[in-house]
Amino acid sequence: MSAPTLSPTTATGTAATTRRRPRWRASTLAVVIPSALVLLTLLICALFAEALSPYDPLQQSLMDALQGPSAKHWLGTDDLGRDVLSRMIHGSRIAVIAAAEATGLAVLIGVPIGLFIGYRGGWWDWITMRAVEAIVSIPGIMVAIVIIAILGSGLHKAMFALGILYSTAFLRLARSVVLTEREEVYVKSARVIGASPRRILIRHIFLNIAPPLIVQVTLTVGAVLLAEAGLSFVGIGVQPPQASWGTMLNTAAAYMELNAFLAVPPGLAIVVTVLAVNLLGDVLRDSIGRGVRLPAATPPRPRSAAIARKGTAPLPAREDDALRVDGLEVMVSPKGGDPVPVVTDMSFRIAKGETLGLVGESGSGKTVTGLALMGLIGAGGRITAGQVTLDGTDLLQLPPSGLEKARGTDIAMVFQDPTTSLNPAYTVGSQISEVLRIKQGLSRRAAWDRTVELIDRVGIPRPAERARAYPHELSGGMAQRIAIARALSCGPKLLIADEPTTALDVTVQQEILDLFRDLQDEMGMAMLFVTHDLAVAADICDRIAVMYCGEVVETAPVEQLFRDPRHPYTAGLLSAMPHGASGTPPLPVIPGAVPTPGHWPTGCRFAPRCAHAAPGCALPVDLTPGQTTTNAERLTRCIRATDLTLEAAQ
Amino acid sequence: MTDPLLQIEDLTVTYGGRSLLGLKTRGVDAVKGANLTIRPGETLGLVGESGSGKSSIANTLLGLVPASSGRMMFDGTDLAQMKDGYPDVVRRKIQAVFQDPYSSLNPSMTVEQIVTEPLKIHATMTRADRRARAAELLRMVNLPETHLPRYPNEFSGGQRQRIAIAAALALQPKLIVLDEPVSALDVSTQNQIINLLYERRDATGMSYLLIAHDLALVHHISDRIAVMYLGHIVEEGPADRVYHQPAHPYTRALLDAVPLLDPERQRARRAARRAAPPTDLPRIAVQGCPYRHRCPRAIDRCRSESPRALAVPGGGTAECHLLEPSGTTPPAQQTTPGAKGPASNTPPRKEPA
Repeated sequence: MSAPTLSPTTATGTAATTRRRPRWRASTLAVVIPSALVLLTLLICALFAEALSPYDPLQQSLMDALQGPSAKHWLGTDDLGRDVLSRMIHGSRIAVIAAAEATGLAVLIGVPIGLFIGYRGGWWDWITMRAVEAIVSIPGIMVAIVIIAILGSGLHKAMFALGILYSTAFLRLARSVVLTEREEVYVKSARVIGASPRRILIRHIFLNIAPPLIVQVTLTVGAVLLAEAGLSFVGIGVQPPQASWGTMLNTAAAYMELNAFLAVPPGLAIVVTVLAVNLLGDVLRDSIGRGVRLPAATPPRPRSAAIARKGTAPLPAREDDALRVDGLEVMVSPKGGDPVPVVTDMSFRIAKGETLGLVGESGSGKTVTGLALMGLIGAGGRITAGQVTLDGTDLLQLPPSGLEKARGTDIAMVFQDPTTSLNPAYTVGSQISEVLRIKQGLSRRAAWDRTVELIDRVGIPRPAERARAYPHELSGGMAQRIAIARALSCGPKLLIADEPTTALDVTVQQEILDLFRDLQDEMGMAMLFVTHDLAVAADICDRIAVMYCGEVVETAPVEQLFRDPRHPYTAGLLSAMPHGASGTPPLPVIPGAVPTPGHWPTGCRFAPRCAHAAPGCALPVDLTPGQTTTNAERLTRCIRATDLTLEAAQ
Repeated sequence: MTDPLLQIEDLTVTYGGRSLLGLKTRGVDAVKGANLTIRPGETLGLVGESGSGKSSIANTLLGLVPASSGRMMFDGTDLAQMKDGYPDVVRRKIQAVFQDPYSSLNPSMTVEQIVTEPLKIHATMTRADRRARAAELLRMVNLPETHLPRYPNEFSGGQRQRIAIAAALALQPKLIVLDEPVSALDVSTQNQIINLLYERRDATGMSYLLIAHDLALVHHISDRIAVMYLGHIVEEGPADRVYHQPAHPYTRALLDAVPLLDPERQRARRAARRAAPPTDLPRIAVQGCPYRHRCPRAIDRCRSESPRALAVPGGGTAECHLLEPSGTTPPAQQTTPGAKGPASNTPPRKEPA
């Protein structure tokens, strides 16, 4: 076997950016082609109605009235003996004119006003919106009838009425999009480069209205066709004898008992046209701009290599282990893609009263690992291998009800953002006492007393009063204390903390870290502390597992990891830390970027970014103690771990 | 010494203050009497926790929020007087890069449209010239030209931030406001962006106002540092002096709150801190020093009297009564901006006394 060469471009995500989405998929084409054909036919009929119709649509022949389909009259004749096919073809012209007029008017009136009042706000907005509300509070057809009563009947007047009516939908749509987009940072950026409000509206915000606008247009076209038919049906739209699908339905209804087929052609034409417009609109909306990112492709690695790999040897058991994770593998199936591994060959254990730090950058799989232990990986995710043993019980073998029982009592979790992990609709106290009542069966009274006690324990002054507060009334630090109190309310054996201080200010962070430490001393639970911040890990953890691309690359007691990193990635992270680096720019960097799941290299996943990569790195590497060290606490996933001299933390 | 590019004097920014019905209400002062100076080619790091008012200063400087009072002299014009937006001639000299690379780029515009948008507004260039300039800008931020027709969601956070920087560089501004430019990025990508920013600054001689919450990061790349607390600039001075010899108790607390990368030294420091009484107290003071409730060294005078900015040995100022000389005023030493003393190679900071 020739020595594999490592090219730094193979894994750094170029595959994700160079491969473009094929313009149309087969399933999309199956929708696009028939819909486009329908609309094309409609358009041709409308344009060349005179040439295409076998008869004059107004030519009566009472002798031939109410005939069924025949070779002479393909779709039969109506009550006055007029050819239905010819009337259908001429009716399509009315349909196109009606749809274009009413929808066009609705867009032209609704969108600019909506954009303007959305961006401007204030009185303009208030007055316009009250007027719109007045219009939409009355049934639409009533409004149209009133407008027609003022203007008089006829196709164009009816469409004018419908245009005004439907413009309210466009107005509200444009306004609501502007209201959300206005707060986006890119609008702020546009203001900073000096774009005028008009330019911001037209060049920047309007582009983002396009997708919902297209949908609204297609819906409106459908609605207009139906409304035209309806208005003509009741006799205030298109006036007989002119042919339109609506007037034809009107006729059909009158002669339903003599010739039921009369209703079929116009009815079918309306249904098919509306359907075609809507389907095409959906496709158009999905394909417009924004270059949809590909779901991670199937990894181009030889499957045999992955199967042949034995994985890391099982870790030796320790007496006081609370949690053992062996060979855990998690796969996720992106929408319409093949399953992609996000965590592989994951083994670690945590002793009672010990804190293990799971450290890594975004996409390293650290959060997924935490969620997998809780049995909370979302839809599309699946644990495909491994064992998770908590205090002797294999959690992965538990039935869903058993896992549900374990959650909250045996394992608990604290999330990153306390303001969203607490329910804003309930007082913080009731959210803790709820857990106590469900999990421990306490009475209402006892649960509340215990809740106040817990809130006091997590260092919140005036606990009885604060228990009645809602989450939004508390600062981020206070809310996180509540979340911690809730997680610890049933005395779990394992606490998973997922970036619990990332959303907090540094001075608050240090208080929360102190609280974690004190509570652990007191309650003795094992703790899995997930963080991207090595400095936080250095402060709170006993041992650290560094993750990269879904696997642990190095695990060590905290002092050893910082004093003597053995994996080049750990060393790179340490030197890139703001207070690890010394001096002025250029600051030390790890070249390249973290590859996304699905684009991981076959061998050592860090090799393409590693300054020490050797030919042997092209093969998968196991987490091993290395040759010279016998310390079972110290494992590294690097074939050069023992021969490299890496820089320690400053 | 060169003239300052930007001189902010006694700037106050008030939010609210008027209800929908036009009735006067009392607003909230996000910035209270701030003074800052940035010289050409210099980086000023502005540090503070959430709600300290650092982003309000940025937004005011960018003309997104009006100043309530004070002066902002920028390149010969007072920006605080321009209530109805900046004229183009000023606008093009101040650009910005924002924190979140995921929402700061318009998802419906291609990279080329994003990067050339400032040129379309401010310069009369042919389409071909703009295209060439866009390619040049991408090269400046180390991205291949082939990215021009792509949309932002095809890129990673680091790449997006490079695109945002390319757009900010398009008009060759004199000042770029960097509002937490790397805090949303991964550790291994952060330094790439910082190095890029500094390479560009050194190539063009522009200035940066760098807003961040991480003092350690700011220290490495700023010439001067200003620390904000509840709308006040409590300390300001040469980066090394502020980082190694903080004069204000709040700056000290901010420095000590960041865990050290050395677990043993961190343990010792934690023990020392925890020996002190807890400071979980109101974070706002209506009267006197804004920090007095949390300050371990507060004296009676802090309760009654707001501290003035006093000169600190080693350069800069701090708003703290403890700096008040018992007899003589310590001479306000001005170190040359940009000079990094030998101190920058010593361990990050001394253990608390």
